[in-house]
Amino acid sequence: MEKMNRLLDRREFLKLSGLLSLSYAIPRFGMVPRASQPTPGGQNVLLVVFDALSAHQTSLYGYHRQTMPNLDQLAERAIVYHNHFAGGNFTTPGTASLLTGTLPWTHRAINYNGTVDEPYVKKNIFRAFQNHYRIAYSHNPLVNTLLFQFTGDLDEFIPRERFFLASDGFIQTLFNADEDIATVSWARTIKRKEEGYAYSLFLTHLYEQYREGKVANFKPLFPRGLPNAGGDNYFLLEQAIDGIGNRLVVVPQPFFGYFHFLPPHYPYKTHRDFYGKFERDGWKPVDKPDDLFSQKKSTKTLLKWRIWYDEYLIYVDREFRRLFDYLEGSGLLENTWVVFTSDHGEMFERGISGHITPVLHQPVIRVPLLIFEPGRETREDVYTPTSAIDLLPTLLQVTGQEIPDWVEGVVLPPIAPTSLDPERSLYTVQAKHNEKYAPLTRATTTIVKGRHKLLYFFGYDDLVGRERIELYDLEEDPEELNDLYLARKEIGAELLEELKAKLTEVNKPYL
Amino acid sequence: MCAFPLHVWTIILAFRDFSWVTERTSAWDAIGVISYGMVFALIESLAVFLVAVLLGFMVSRKFDEGRRIALLSVLVLITALWAMASQVYFLWGISLPEQMMRFLAQSGHPVRVLYAASLALVLPTVLIPAFLVLKSNKVFNFVRELTERLSLLTMFYLVLDVGGLVIVLIRNL
Repeated sequence: MEKMNRLLDRREFLKLSGLLSLSYAIPRFGMVPRASQPTPGGQNVLLVVFDALSAHQTSLYGYHRQTMPNLDQLAERAIVYHNHFAGGNFTTPGTASLLTGTLPWTHRAINYNGTVDEPYVKKNIFRAFQNHYRIAYSHNPLVNTLLFQFTGDLDEFIPRERFFLASDGFIQTLFNADEDIATVSWARTIKRKEEGYAYSLFLTHLYEQYREGKVANFKPLFPRGLPNAGGDNYFLLEQAIDGIGNRLVVVPQPFFGYFHFLPPHYPYKTHRDFYGKFERDGWKPVDKPDDLFSQKKSTKTLLKWRIWYDEYLIYVDREFRRLFDYLEGSGLLENTWVVFTSDHGEMFERGISGHITPVLHQPVIRVPLLIFEPGRETREDVYTPTSAIDLLPTLLQVTGQEIPDWVEGVVLPPIAPTSLDPERSLYTVQAKHNEKYAPLTRATTTIVKGRHKLLYFFGYDDLVGRERIELYDLEEDPEELNDLYLARKEIGAELLEELKAKLTEVNKPYL
Repeated sequence: MCAFPLHVWTIILAFRDFSWVTERTSAWDAIGVISYGMVFALIESLAVFLVAVLLGFMVSRKFDEGRRIALLSVLVLITALWAMASQVYFLWGISLPEQMMRFLAQSGHPVRVLYAASLALVLPTVLIPAFLVLKSNKVFNFVRELTERLSLLTMFYLVLDVGGLVIVLIRNL
């Protein structure tokens, strides 16, 4: 029945796509072509990132709802990392950690829409894969800010607008040397939708009609509205997945592909097939008290957003499966390492919704990581804590390349020649409002060591004594309900001392 | 007259954005945003002018050229004022009075009623001045004088457009 639904959707989608004037909007999966011939000895790497995907709400990691049934199946052929941590709590630091193999306090992409520190412009994953054909795409403008920094090391940087339903790409083309400011001004001139007013008095109405006309046919497929990357930058995940799949089978091999899709990031706009799936299941998550940094969201609101997010996850799951099957059908998987992960998580608890928060509880920083090795038919579970910064050295190792000395991460098990120290210290950093080139004085950092996790908040105006410390035992208390900082004083003091020593070390260049 | 209201509105909003952009990037970028805004306003003015010229062909030739120009100027100005009013609604965060909201909700067709009410409000503000320009010498003379005075100000805006264009070119070199 599910298969039948998918076929009908496909037909409907194709039919609707045919109405679009944008030829690239038409998905072209159908006949799966064979991929171009691989270079002997060189393996491809495909890094697929779904933005704001929390491991906490993924069925693969024990979530109550079946949010990712396809991933559950695919995991039987993958290395599954159960305690994998993002470098930061939002796109900029989290993605920069993935792309540089360093933590936010090193690469310094810590602020909203921030960029990495000058030396890291040349210390990135694309440069490390210089023997590969390097191709990248993202819906997310914050990711694109980082990718722009690395364009010198990219062979192909697919424009963000390529996979939008209605594109303002002509502005970028026309004002190519000043596209950021031209785009801002164009948006302020013509896009009334975001705030209700624009510089233009008349053209904005014509523009809205034009844009609405372009997407009108797709609206019935998304009862909560079309997925969008802000304002009227509507997109379909299907379109991006198809576009990327079609491109990968023709690009030169070996390739390194970095594809960062916006879903399941807010706004949570699932496909009609999954709309209402969890609406009446009656399940309620563990009730947690409001945090000091609560956004004052009511339980009802949090439950609603959680449902919307969970229903968006199934859409993501279906599309990842389609990409995976397509690549397999094309023969690419025989020679390609595929990585499935996220840049940070999302939370719907303690009065907080989303990820823009100083609170670094597990839902915000624990993300999925699956590595699909060419030819692997069995599952391997890794429970040792791992970090986003480990991915870069791991991927270099599996493709037989040298690991640069600036990388802070280590090669992951079971790929590493020696086993990973289970007591290794892992860090996550939130310093969105700290100055880029200044010591960290207003931030949240976590240290995970073995089963314990310490959260250290400092410099926030809301904090009495300007700091707050919490300690959790992740094995006994994965929901982080019981703060053990006072009960396990010795462990807490040891972790805090180590974290503060690390902060002193990373702050040194900025003193 | 086509350029005047469009430029006034762009300048007001663009300068409101100046500090917002400066805080996030730099003053030079903020000047860039305003410059692009001026260039887009110039393009929009030309488009409106073109539409006004085409409309001019539809006005009876029994009225002299001066009256026809005055009529079109009034139409452009009033339409622009209403377009501004529709945006001011969001800009100042105005909401309809509670009683009106209740009436709309109870009507069963709130959108239709809202459109009908808007039309009833807008139509007289367009038709009456248009009629007066064509029939009353006093109103015609007033509009002509107003147009002449605003034309002088519009010239200043056109100078700003040229400045904006130069800045846009410099930024794209």
